[in-house]
Amino acid sequence: MNDRTTPYRLLSWIIPGALIMTWWMVSRCGWLPAYLLPHPEDIAKSGYAYVFGHAEGGPYSGRFVTDVIASLARVALGFSMAAGVGVPLGILSGRLMWMDKLLSVSVNGVRAVPGICWLPLSLIWFGIGMKTTVFLIFLAAFFPIYLNAAAGARAVPAILLQAGAMMGVGRIRGVFAILIPGAMSHLMAGLRLGLGISWAYLVLGELTGVPSGLGAVIMDARMSGHIDVIIVGIVMIALFGQLSDYLLRCLLRCLFKSARRTP
Amino acid sequence: MSTRLKLISTRAARPQAVLDIKGVSQIFRVAQTTCHALENVSFQAGTGELICILGPSGCGKSTLLKILSGFIAPSAGKVALNGLPVFRPGPDRCVVFQEDALFPWLTVAENIAFGLKGRGLGSQSARQETERFLSLVNLEAFADYLPREVSGGMKQRVALARVLILNPKVLLMDEPFAALDAQTREEMQNFLLALWKKLSHTILFVTHDVAEAVTLADRILVMGKNPGRIRHDIAVTLKRPRMRETDDFHHHCKRLYALLRTGDTGGMQSCQNPRMS
Repeated sequence: MNDRTTPYRLLSWIIPGALIMTWWMVSRCGWLPAYLLPHPEDIAKSGYAYVFGHAEGGPYSGRFVTDVIASLARVALGFSMAAGVGVPLGILSGRLMWMDKLLSVSVNGVRAVPGICWLPLSLIWFGIGMKTTVFLIFLAAFFPIYLNAAAGARAVPAILLQAGAMMGVGRIRGVFAILIPGAMSHLMAGLRLGLGISWAYLVLGELTGVPSGLGAVIMDARMSGHIDVIIVGIVMIALFGQLSDYLLRCLLRCLFKSARRTP
Repeated sequence: MSTRLKLISTRAARPQAVLDIKGVSQIFRVAQTTCHALENVSFQAGTGELICILGPSGCGKSTLLKILSGFIAPSAGKVALNGLPVFRPGPDRCVVFQEDALFPWLTVAENIAFGLKGRGLGSQSARQETERFLSLVNLEAFADYLPREVSGGMKQRVALARVLILNPKVLLMDEPFAALDAQTREEMQNFLLALWKKLSHTILFVTHDVAEAVTLADRILVMGKNPGRIRHDIAVTLKRPRMRETDDFHHHCKRLYALLRTGDTGGMQSCQNPRMS
C-alpha cells in the first residue's frame, strides 16, 4: 500500500476538516457565545494581522516575527543541550554496566519529579525569561532522549559488534560506525519525543511573564480577553511543532545513512 | 577400514601450520553447575587446508570457534596464529557467522567495503577492491541493495566477501549455511569450494551436517560431547569434485555417522550439579 496516493493523503485531513466544519456551524448558528469560541473567520483575521500586520494595526498586530524568533531560540537551545547531553550519556549507559548503575537511580529520581515543579526553583535560580525556559526545556527533553538512546544502544545486536571486532574495528569507530547506526531508530524516536515535549515546556516557561514568545502571547491574550489570539497562538505552536519535527527528521536523514534506510 | 578413510590422530605436526591449538579447555560456571564445554583440544591447521569440525549440538564446536576468533579466552591452553598468541578478535581470523550479521543500514557494496576503512587504502583502490570482491561473489547486480532486500544465500555471499576482502590468514565459518534451504545450501557449498580453489584460504568450517563435511573437507575433526573433545581426526581423500550420488560418498558418510554415535556414548557425564551429587 502506498501512502502517497491521493485517497490516503485525503484520509488524514478528514478529521481536521470535520472539526473545522462543526466549529463553523456552531459559531454561525450562535450556539456558543463568541467570548468562549470566536468564529473561525475572526480567528483567521486575527491570525493574519498577527503574522502580516503592521505594528500599529492593533495590540497583537505584527508581533509574530519577534515571538517566533524568541520561542525558536529557546526551544533550539534547550533541545540541543538536551540532545548533546542525553545522547552520549544514554549510549554510554546502554553499553556500560557501571555507567548504567551510576546514573540509573539519579535519573529515575529526577524523572519522577513533574517538570512543572522545577518552575519555582528555576525562577529563583535563573530569573524570568530565556534562562528559565531553556532550563525547563532541557530538563524535560533530556529524559526521553537519554532513555531511548540507552534502550537503543542496549538493543544493538551483539553479533554486529562482534562482526565489527573481527573486522578490526576499534572502540571509537565502533561507536560511530556500528553503535549509533544500530541504535538509530531508537535515537530518532527519543529525539522526536524530546522535541515534542520541548514545545510543551516552552509554553510553561513563557507563562511566567516574559515579553515575547508564542507562549507569552497566549498568556497575554488571556489577560486582555483576546480569545482569538489565544487560539492563533495555539495554532502557531501546533504548526511550529510539526515543522520542527519535520526538519529534525530531514536533518537526521541528511546526516545519517541509517536514518534514511531505517524501514 | 576403508583405505581412503584413515584415522590420523597420531599424525605428526604439519610442516606449515597456520593455526596451532594446544590443550585448549573451556569450563563454564553457571550458578551452581560447572560445564566442561571443551577438554584438552589440540590440533594444527596447515596452510590452505579446509578443515571441517563436525559434531552434535552441544559438543562445544561453536565455543571452539569463538576461542579461535578471540571472542572468549580459553580456561586453559593456547591458540597461536603463525606462532603468535591469539588474545582478541582481529581481521587475520575472520568469521562468517551462522545468523545474519550484515549491517542492515549499509548496502551490499558498503558492507563488503566496511572492513577496508581505516586501512589506509585510497578511495580509488578501495572501490576497485570492492568491485573485485562483488564480482567474485557474483553480486555486481546487487551492489546497491540493502541486506533485507536480498535472499539468504546472497547475504551469506556478502558475509563471505566482506571478510575475504581483508585477506584473513584463517577463515572461520560457524555453520554458515545451516539456516539456508537444502538447495541453496548445496549451491553455497559448491560456491565456497570454487572460491577456495581460487583463493586457497585456510578454512575452519563448523558443521553438524555429515554430508556437508564430506562434500567440503580435506580433513574432518569429529567431536563428541560431555566433555567436548576431538575424538577423531580424519583425512578425506575423496577426489574433487565430489558427487553426492556416488557409493564412495555414501560410504564416507556412513563411517562418520558411526563415529559420531560412538563419540556420543563414549563420553561421561561432565555437566554436574553438586546439589544433586
